[in-house]
Amino acid sequence: MNLLLKLSKGIDAFTDKLGGIIKLIVVLTIAATFLNAFLRYLGKAIAQTLISNELIQVQWYLFSMIFLFGFPYILLHNTNVRVDFLYAKWGPRRRAFIDFFGTLLFLIPFCLLAIYVSINPVLIAWGRLPDGTFGAWEVSSDAGGLPMAPLKTLIILGFLLLLIQAVSQLIKYLAILTGRHETDHVVMAAGATEQLAEEALHNLQPHEAHEAGASH
Amino acid sequence: MDFINPQWLGILMFAGFLFLLLTGYPVAFSFAGTAIIFGLIGMAIGAFDVNLLLSLPNSWFGTMTDSTLLAIPAFIFLGAVLEKSGLAEELLETVGLLMGPIRGGIALAVILVGTLLAATTGVIAATIIAMGLISLPTMIKHGYDKGLATGTIMASGTLAQMIPPSLVLVLLSDQFGVSIGDLFAGALIPGLALSVSYMIYVLIRAYLNPRLAPALPPEARTIHGWALGKKVMKALVPPVVLIFAVLGTIFAGLATPSEAGAFGAIGAIGLAIANRKFSWKMLGDAALSTAKTTALVLMILFSSTLFVKVLYGLGGDMLIDSWLTGLPGGFWTFIIVSNIVIFLLGVFLEFTEITFIAMPLLVPAAEKVLNAANAAGAYGTEGYTMIWFAIVMAVNLQIAFISPPVGFSLFYMQSVAPKDVSTALIHRSAIPYVIIQLIVLGLVIAVPETANWLVRAATASP
Repeated sequence: MNLLLKLSKGIDAFTDKLGGIIKLIVVLTIAATFLNAFLRYLGKAIAQTLISNELIQVQWYLFSMIFLFGFPYILLHNTNVRVDFLYAKWGPRRRAFIDFFGTLLFLIPFCLLAIYVSINPVLIAWGRLPDGTFGAWEVSSDAGGLPMAPLKTLIILGFLLLLIQAVSQLIKYLAILTGRHETDHVVMAAGATEQLAEEALHNLQPHEAHEAGASH
Repeated sequence: MDFINPQWLGILMFAGFLFLLLTGYPVAFSFAGTAIIFGLIGMAIGAFDVNLLLSLPNSWFGTMTDSTLLAIPAFIFLGAVLEKSGLAEELLETVGLLMGPIRGGIALAVILVGTLLAATTGVIAATIIAMGLISLPTMIKHGYDKGLATGTIMASGTLAQMIPPSLVLVLLSDQFGVSIGDLFAGALIPGLALSVSYMIYVLIRAYLNPRLAPALPPEARTIHGWALGKKVMKALVPPVVLIFAVLGTIFAGLATPSEAGAFGAIGAIGLAIANRKFSWKMLGDAALSTAKTTALVLMILFSSTLFVKVLYGLGGDMLIDSWLTGLPGGFWTFIIVSNIVIFLLGVFLEFTEITFIAMPLLVPAAEKVLNAANAAGAYGTEGYTMIWFAIVMAVNLQIAFISPPVGFSLFYMQSVAPKDVSTALIHRSAIPYVIIQLIVLGLVIAVPETANWLVRAATASP
């Protein structure tokens, strides 16, 4: 069990790092969208074509990365929306019980299903032919479009990251169920609403929130 | 096992889904869980062809390359920058100072700022929590009736989902297959109608009983004259100009919504820099909260795609479609039934889930029913447009947010209200606003021009 908890800690640290990446990608997405519109109008003004389908499709890549890499991150940080009028009243063990079986029976099978059904279409996008050899990879049919194979591969990557994080969650829930974990900070005491409030408090009153945190 | 009609199994999926939700398991994964259970049952009785699931990656890929959905991060980021940089807070303070001298002034300020913030972000939680933390203590301190205060904050925060640009309109446009610019134009008048109705309500209450919402005493108004004018120029005018610029470019067709959102976000960063409120940490926080909300919405969308595929595979959609189009009484029964269904779903679910599972079922039926009504010349020849129906659904969805006992705005309000503001009081305080919203819903249903007029006007302009 200790070994498992160590593994879970490692996974959590890794997923937390994804937060830094998706932050950057959001800023890049906004920049790319801005640039695209800006160049279109600048191009019109000087009668040149400055935009290309590449720039439009870069936005697809960035947008997809925000949420596919964001899935494991929001699972770790428990940003999921719950209908929590019962859940919020329950103790940590009961909550861990719900989340343990939910993760085991629904979330993990969902990830496995998503990866399984995506393998073949992704291989085809990379150019696999019916006889098993590989030809040219799939490129967007728009003029000057980007290759689509890596974009499709992101689906598998996203669900793989989500699966790994789900395993880590499973270990933490199990630790609570078996009494290894006294505190329930891993299963976030409250639902999404209180967490949002907490976040807002941090943003609006940084000093007070900080003091409260220090005395805790 | 012939006695189990697989179509009924499809209907049972909804019951299974609601049950999972009540356990408190996250909404996004409850979709997938229900789909997996019912898919397996369907396979066991030979009613579900598992090969249907092979089209999942293709549907997801369609989502990833959907230009409409690109507007989601753009608008959330714009709102997040205004909020995290403290610009929204100053906006509220300034409008409060301006309106303070009149009876009910702070409540009016909350409605006005709620309307303005609604025009930047589609996120109800952020608006209610921000206003609840800033304005509720102020209102209580100055002797406002607690119920009037909480009700006003919840209703104003809920405007975020009606006044364009909003997340719910982006998702509805995707589901309805109508232009997002048209939907924004259609939502503007009904959204403003809500906002104006709230203000009239507050003014009437404050006029009839001044003790409910007293005017601010002179000593509470710390800034006057030129200083106040300067504050208005600095804190109020620039964000308002920015908001109108963003909406204007969309309505005029100068930029796609995602582009306008990106322009707005860059403008908001510019404002933060000009006000010396910019920091890399603020930018990072805004980006991270944008990423989280985007991921949450898309997780629910990805998961509900599986749910809908299993539902269709079992034939549940055909059963629902035949019920909806076969309703006795035709058009009006359909409008009434669909509104009641969406309202009831809204009591339990958030708009994302309703949009992703109920709209795919409602839209085809609505197209048939609306076409039939228009062919019969029920309201002009094409008065009942799909845009109008989408707006009706949007107004309806936002009522569900604050209708007790279960509504997300109520939860958000509870999470920031002081301890002496009871849950029962918060619930009661929502009721007058629910009634106002129902009146506006009735108005939009009875007069389709409320949604259609601006769409035509925007299209007609060069």
